Amino acid sequence: MKLFTRYNRINITATIFTFVLGSIAFYFVLDYVLSRQLKETLRSEQFEIIHFAEQHNALPEIQNTRHQWITIEKSSEIIARPLFKNSNFYNPREKENESVKQLFFSIQVAGQNYLITVNKSEAETEDLLKLIILVTIGMIALILLFNYLINRNLINRLWQPFYKTIDEIKEYHISNRQPLQLSSETIDELNLLNVSLNKMTQSIYEDYTALKSFTENASHEMQTPLAVIRSRIDLLLQQTELKEQSLQQILSIEDAAQRLSKLHQSLLLLTKIENKQFVLNESVDLKKIIIEKIQEREELIESKQLQIETNCKNVTLSFHHHLAEILFNNLLNNCIKYTPEKGKINIELTDEFVCFSNNAINGSLEIKKVFQRFYKPSDSGEGTGLGLAIIKEICRLAEFNITYTFNNQQHIFRIEFKN
Amino acid sequence: MKLLIIEDELSLNQSMVEFLSASGYLCESVFNFKNAVEKIELYDYDCIILDIMLPGGSGLQILKYLKQNNKTDGVIIISAKDSLEDKIHGIELGADDYLTKPFHLSELSVRVAAIIRRKQFQGQSIIIAGDIEVDTLGKSISIQQQNVELTQKEFQLLLFLIINKNKVISKNAIAEHLWGDDMDIASNFDFIYAHIKNLRKKIIAAGGEDRIRSIYGVGYKMQLP
Repeated sequence: MKLFTRYNRINITATIFTFVLGSIAFYFVLDYVLSRQLKETLRSEQFEIIHFAEQHNALPEIQNTRHQWITIEKSSEIIARPLFKNSNFYNPREKENESVKQLFFSIQVAGQNYLITVNKSEAETEDLLKLIILVTIGMIALILLFNYLINRNLINRLWQPFYKTIDEIKEYHISNRQPLQLSSETIDELNLLNVSLNKMTQSIYEDYTALKSFTENASHEMQTPLAVIRSRIDLLLQQTELKEQSLQQILSIEDAAQRLSKLHQSLLLLTKIENKQFVLNESVDLKKIIIEKIQEREELIESKQLQIETNCKNVTLSFHHHLAEILFNNLLNNCIKYTPEKGKINIELTDEFVCFSNNAINGSLEIKKVFQRFYKPSDSGEGTGLGLAIIKEICRLAEFNITYTFNNQQHIFRIEFKN
Repeated sequence: MKLLIIEDELSLNQSMVEFLSASGYLCESVFNFKNAVEKIELYDYDCIILDIMLPGGSGLQILKYLKQNNKTDGVIIISAKDSLEDKIHGIELGADDYLTKPFHLSELSVRVAAIIRRKQFQGQSIIIAGDIEVDTLGKSISIQQQNVELTQKEFQLLLFLIINKNKVISKNAIAEHLWGDDMDIASNFDFIYAHIKNLRKKIIAAGGEDRIRSIYGVGYKMQLP
């Protein structure tokens, strides 16, 4: 639920509740005031009559109106105090049943006792009350409507910078090589958000750069001693007086140094791919690379008497040339390495996918682990165990989908290009 | 042939001097930026072996300096940075080649020889090794004025051995030179053997003397006077 919707719901409920409560109170107050006023009117009528009677010793001439009329009866009964009464009866002037407020009082004029009733219809008051209630309800509705409209527009506008910030965060990637630079806002809360985000990415970026330069420097620092080892071995080999046994030992040192250096290069490559240090904006001819890579390995393929079947369309993708080479290198190396002699390798390339499949020497690889770093099936020999992990990372970077399946005694690696 | 070796790692610098001196080059070595600039200002070299990260400055600045002063010294960058951009950047600044650390000294030696051949273009494309004449431009060899047909790999292998004559070259170094390091090195050892065998056959068939010595389990050596 959107914050605004949530807020609106609460707001509207509270508003309606307040208005209803207020209206009820308003109704009773109004009712009270109006009926008091009615009594006042009746009472002032009474005073006028008494006043007139005292001055003129006669009853005044009564002028009745539609809503107010006075009846005078001769009566022996004397009411000590004026008496108010509400009753309901037919008003012939208005031709309808009306509730009427009555005031009874006794008066003595010229020795005669009279019972006077002052009647005032409450219809007017009720009409007024109805009108007031109607106006109130209308007002509530209008206020709610305006409130809603204003809130929606205003809040949408107020939140605009927030959505802008969110969009920028979505777009942001650490390998853009700079921290976020969100603009400052006039609204304090949003400004606080932007400032905090700027600060946070600044520190993340600094850490990232430090880590990156550490990785690079570490690589540099490690390759240099390896270079020393290797060059010294090359020199050692020149010493003719060395025994065969010593030579063998030197060579195994060389092998180890070479593996170490290769391992390190692979890890560095993985880090670089993960850090998105490659920009995939080169137009790369995949078919050409695949053919080249096969040709480079011609001798190897011939010696194992492998049959390679290629079914490649001309496919050009926006990619990175070097990464494409690494990708196909690794795939092809695996295919050749893990196909038995006289085995078959199939390579299919279309606009949608590329698929490498080959006869397996043993059974299936562990599907869940196959792309993990340092995963080595028992028969893998001397590999770094990073080849497939690198393939996976390249695919992830390019948003390709890579799957491994084992079918018909065949390893099948299939890469779906994004569509 | 005069070489300048600019590399701050003492031991590596010494190795290169030792190996290349034995190949007949006159080597001078410097270990920092300042001394490197001094040497370059004073002398001309046939080839400069240049490390990028140096105490006191970057090797790339040295490249810029050479370019600005129209110096024609050949330059080969040796760097631990294996990124493509660095290579392209180095080549753009005028380097002739780029070698990633760690490397085989024999590989460095061929690259240096190639740069020098390219720079001094005075009939230097012919290398004579015993009774074999190698035309590095035409990529062909002849023995006693007779052309010997070699495959591309055989030619590369022979040239590699000749440039590194009288040196024991390990199979690893040969494999890396012939196939690059993105292939499984070990699986190529058999092909090295096959290529050597074919080379010997062809040389002997053409009436030449087989000067390739096998060092058992280690590699090969071209024995030349």
